[in-house]
Amino acid sequence: MAEFPLEISPMFEGERIRKNDMYVELAGPKSKGFELVRATDSDEIEDGKFTLIGPDISEMEEGSRYPFAMIYKIGGELVEPDLEAIVERRNHDFYNYMQGVMHLNQRYDIWVRLSKDAVNKGLNSFEQMAAAMMSLFKNELSFIEKIEAVYITDPEEIDKELENAMEIYKERDERTANLHDEDVDTFYGCTLCQSFAPSNVCVITPDRISLCGAINWFDGRAAAKVDPEGPQFPIEKGEVIDEVGGEYSGVNEAAKSLSGGEFDRIKLHSFFEYPHTSCGCFEVVGFYIPEVDGIGWVDRDFTGNAPNGLPFSTMAGQTGGGKQVVGFLGIGINYFRSPKFLQADGGWDRVVWMPSHLKEKVVDYIPEDVVNKIPTEQDVGDISELETYLKETEHPVIERWSEEEEETEAEEEQPEQPESAPSQYMTQMPASMPSAPSWTSSASSGGVKVTLKNAKVSIDRIIVKNKE
Amino acid sequence: MSNVTTGKFSIEDLENVQVTIENIVGAIEEVEETEEEMGVTPKPGISSLRHWDFNLLNRYEPIYTPMCDQCCYCTFGKCDLSGNKEGACGIDMKAHQAREFLLRVITGASAHTGHGRHLLHHLIEKYGRDHPIDVGSSNLKTPVMQTVTGYKPETLGDLEKALDYVEEQITQLLATIHMGQEGEAIDFESKALHGGMLDHVGMEISDIAQISCLKMPKSDPESPLAEIGMGCIDSSKPMLLTIGHNVSGVTNIIDYIDEQGLSDDIEIAGLCCTAIDMTRYNTDEGDEPKSKVIGSLAKELKMIRSGVPDVIVVDEQCVRADILREAQRLSIPVISTNDKIMYGLKDRSNDNVDEILGDLESGNEPGALILDFDKLGELAPRLAMDMAPIREEKGIKSLPTSEELQELTERCVHCKECELVCPTNLSISDAMSAAESGDFAPFEELHDKCVACGRCEQVCPKDIPVLNVIEKSAQRVIREEKGKLRSGRGQVSDPEIREEGVNLVLGTTPGIIALVGCSNYPEGTKDLYRIADEMLKRNYIVVVSGCSAMDLGMYRNEDGNTLYEEYPGKFIKGNLLNVGSCVSNSHITGTAIKVASIFAQRNVTGNFEEIADYILNRIGAVGVAWGAYSQKASSIATGCNRFGIPVIIGPHGSKYRRALIGKPYDKDKWTVYDARNGEELQIPPSPEFLLSTVESVEELMPMLAKNCMRPSDNNMGRMIKLTNYIELSEKYLGVMPEDWYQFVRTETDLPLTKRGDLLKKLESEHGWEIDWKKKKIISGPSMKFDVSSQPTNVKRLCKEA
Repeated sequence: MAEFPLEISPMFEGERIRKNDMYVELAGPKSKGFELVRATDSDEIEDGKFTLIGPDISEMEEGSRYPFAMIYKIGGELVEPDLEAIVERRNHDFYNYMQGVMHLNQRYDIWVRLSKDAVNKGLNSFEQMAAAMMSLFKNELSFIEKIEAVYITDPEEIDKELENAMEIYKERDERTANLHDEDVDTFYGCTLCQSFAPSNVCVITPDRISLCGAINWFDGRAAAKVDPEGPQFPIEKGEVIDEVGGEYSGVNEAAKSLSGGEFDRIKLHSFFEYPHTSCGCFEVVGFYIPEVDGIGWVDRDFTGNAPNGLPFSTMAGQTGGGKQVVGFLGIGINYFRSPKFLQADGGWDRVVWMPSHLKEKVVDYIPEDVVNKIPTEQDVGDISELETYLKETEHPVIERWSEEEEETEAEEEQPEQPESAPSQYMTQMPASMPSAPSWTSSASSGGVKVTLKNAKVSIDRIIVKNKE
Repeated sequence: MSNVTTGKFSIEDLENVQVTIENIVGAIEEVEETEEEMGVTPKPGISSLRHWDFNLLNRYEPIYTPMCDQCCYCTFGKCDLSGNKEGACGIDMKAHQAREFLLRVITGASAHTGHGRHLLHHLIEKYGRDHPIDVGSSNLKTPVMQTVTGYKPETLGDLEKALDYVEEQITQLLATIHMGQEGEAIDFESKALHGGMLDHVGMEISDIAQISCLKMPKSDPESPLAEIGMGCIDSSKPMLLTIGHNVSGVTNIIDYIDEQGLSDDIEIAGLCCTAIDMTRYNTDEGDEPKSKVIGSLAKELKMIRSGVPDVIVVDEQCVRADILREAQRLSIPVISTNDKIMYGLKDRSNDNVDEILGDLESGNEPGALILDFDKLGELAPRLAMDMAPIREEKGIKSLPTSEELQELTERCVHCKECELVCPTNLSISDAMSAAESGDFAPFEELHDKCVACGRCEQVCPKDIPVLNVIEKSAQRVIREEKGKLRSGRGQVSDPEIREEGVNLVLGTTPGIIALVGCSNYPEGTKDLYRIADEMLKRNYIVVVSGCSAMDLGMYRNEDGNTLYEEYPGKFIKGNLLNVGSCVSNSHITGTAIKVASIFAQRNVTGNFEEIADYILNRIGAVGVAWGAYSQKASSIATGCNRFGIPVIIGPHGSKYRRALIGKPYDKDKWTVYDARNGEELQIPPSPEFLLSTVESVEELMPMLAKNCMRPSDNNMGRMIKLTNYIELSEKYLGVMPEDWYQFVRTETDLPLTKRGDLLKKLESEHGWEIDWKKKKIISGPSMKFDVSSQPTNVKRLCKEA
């Protein structure tokens, strides 16, 4: 089999090939093409075979542009259609490992360039590239036992196959979109983070991508197949304990063993009760705003203060480190797109603030009836403005205010105070609920017990402070 | 301690207890709410972290190869310590070597801390004690100080107590240098580590204070680009040159020039870190720097000899001792502004500006000591404006003419005395011959490597001003010396660390390389460029500061760009960050602390050992001091060491003749505890050392990659790190490293593109068992792999302990 004449290494990942350095452009915005991986019956695959339909690199003129398609057929005992997308995405990574080759985008948007330098150094056939790719696929994803590649540079042939490919992408997307927590028996855990955040446990479900945003349920599934003892591993769902909150007996057991007993309950879609742990690299932090009984979200690109007067860094500093912190929750932006987004707490109906650029990113996923009721920094600056805004737009969260009010009335027979109402709800939250980050630190209520032997205590300085 | 709270305090089983309360300070209204829990060693004394030091020194043994085998510290001696002899006081060679090193470390730490004290005093006077600490969008604003002292300062005034602590500790350390104090090398080493740690606190105070007050960039990845190099100086304008490290007085000069609208009429540029901090001044809102940078210490004499400066303002640190003499020869008045460097000049702080101007312009006085910065602000620019025409009229001649150059090169007798004393062994004699026949290329090349120490001139039997010859011969390249420097960005912010987290975890950032230390590189500034460029291409984060930051900006690639223009400046894979001046080095250790705080929610406050342990076992960071190694550089590196960050020093740094090196073959030294249960775990020998030397860039590159590996690496991280190690070894040394297999725990650790071949090697060369159908390793690795294991060197941090 032909050998790739240049180096193959992750260090070439960032390599960009500019127009002047380019020998040939394949697919891209001015042409067409695609990449596709198909799970195929092993008997129908001739391992390592490469077929090219259309002209080869050696037949291409310098500076020219061709349509380009790559089809890989993969087979093996564990290979199944659900893995196709995962393998396909690796095509992008591996292509970029090849020195002198640039690969951008995915699926039908791919854009590939080969550098003059690479062609000068002997890259003259697609077979050299396909062979390298097939070997990388098999090395990295050991469930692939057999692999075959078909590359197409012939325009007519690509037109024909592209239609077919589009159909497959569509089916796949529908399946992904329609796959929910209730449709599967197995979730996946990921402990990659434990190299930095020792007690963090990430539970990845069809409706909940990993906190870092890098691993979805399908990725977890593929990785667990490659190496069931590796950092991504199956978690049997077990019994459903709380369907809305997303609590499962299997997840709880896994949480207990993986955190070294630090916590034993996790509700996947809950903010207030046994929330998912947060590692350190979450993109967005959610924070409870007791005055309005809602949740605000702030992301790390937002440098100002949220309506509660605190910036991202301060609130983020309260959470993370693989701890369950009630009142704060770190998430990946993708979780906003989940249909189960905090469904235990009212989902979007509970969201009362987010920075404008973040809102813009996820606006398509916000239900129509609340989308215009969630203010940003452009609408409100502090809590009292927030209260007013929520009232004026009739944000669904204000229904909670009146519920609470009624309870108050009934129990304590207080006179009605509709104007100043929201601020009193603070007192009705569970005792563990923080109003500001400082509440979440371990309560230092004094009461230290020390046993000393042969000790000498020196105190450099004691500052005596009056109690208010 | 700030976490003394109200509440019940019960003490049981007291035996021989003595409680001393030194001070009780008056009543303050409110009790601070929820201070973080205090760690076990707030404000550690010399012995507090000794067990951590011994832990480190047990694995990383001190090695000494003494340059001098005598001790001349007191007049009981001098004592010959060679051949295992003891001195008159009983000290042996090892202990004395360690003591010498301790002295260097605390000298460096004192320089930064003294700088910090001066700066803080000045800033408090100007901005008030209540001026808030503002370093950008971070929760952890003073990570080093908080980790070491337990303090969490909010205002300028709050910084003082940490400084008090550092000064007190340095005094304690200095005391142990005295004859008849400490006797064992290992305890001197522990003290040196203590001094290094203190240095990082001192540095952090200095930089945090100036960032907060002087409108310097606050964790800004897009801090402005400043011009750097002798070639960017407009010599047609009056020129004001600053030299040193402490920008406090210089800000008054910049303000005066601004207020008087003189910006276009006067050229202001600096040497060393004052220059860096001048470009940071008033740029936190994206304004362009008001000054230019000439370069590091190595450019001091060259700049003065060029004759271009009309006034020189010096402050402190890394300022040549002969500035006044050199300047005097060229009628350049020198203003000294800091009591650390006064050159015997008259104190004119209380005199009238016009009178001082008169004395300096007439040449009655060669310079003046001005400790009043308002006066300085007015005096220095006015003096420059006045001196320029005076000096021009006098026809001050600096460098030789072409005819004189010819005569000088002909005068050389090629005795090579100059080459013998040259710290870089430059081929001056050959270059003289070439220049004699009109070929200046050898001198042009030599110029970049020359650190302008001037030792050649001291020994020349023919009294050739060798430096002037070099400079004149290299005029063409000097005119081209125009680079760009990303002005210091300050700390790495908390949100940046969160953003980068996913790359650190997934191994797509294989490590963090900090290029620090002084100039004087074996192959000139190109060395630094090569190191940084190679590592940046491989997605390492490269952090620079001080001299290295400047020198990196001097080298341009084929496209005419410096690396600052090629790579962005965020704390994210493949980025190049200039944290700032020498004192900004504290942000490098600060960043590592932040990782521990943010990802593992480790308590930072007064909790040094746990944090250092986390860094040592988890964060793949390596420091490189490629050039010379001042006392400050050695204290910075030693502080990094105590924090668990290894440092590599180049050929010049090795002259301190001390290293801290592990023995990769001694399996017993490479074990840690698993914090989950206290069991012992075998780990790979990385970092292999805390302080080691290399001879060449080629040797350095693979060493950097290798020493970014850490026990806690997950398989994706290890795979990328190992890939880089193997590739760099093959690229620069032409061989597969012989110890590569020691870092393999499972097949998933193997570089993806070579997995099949490496499995074969493991089987055939190392006898490992391979399941070829599944391509899995069955047996062979000396370590079990479990990403959930929690490596620690500290037994008390284990659950069962």
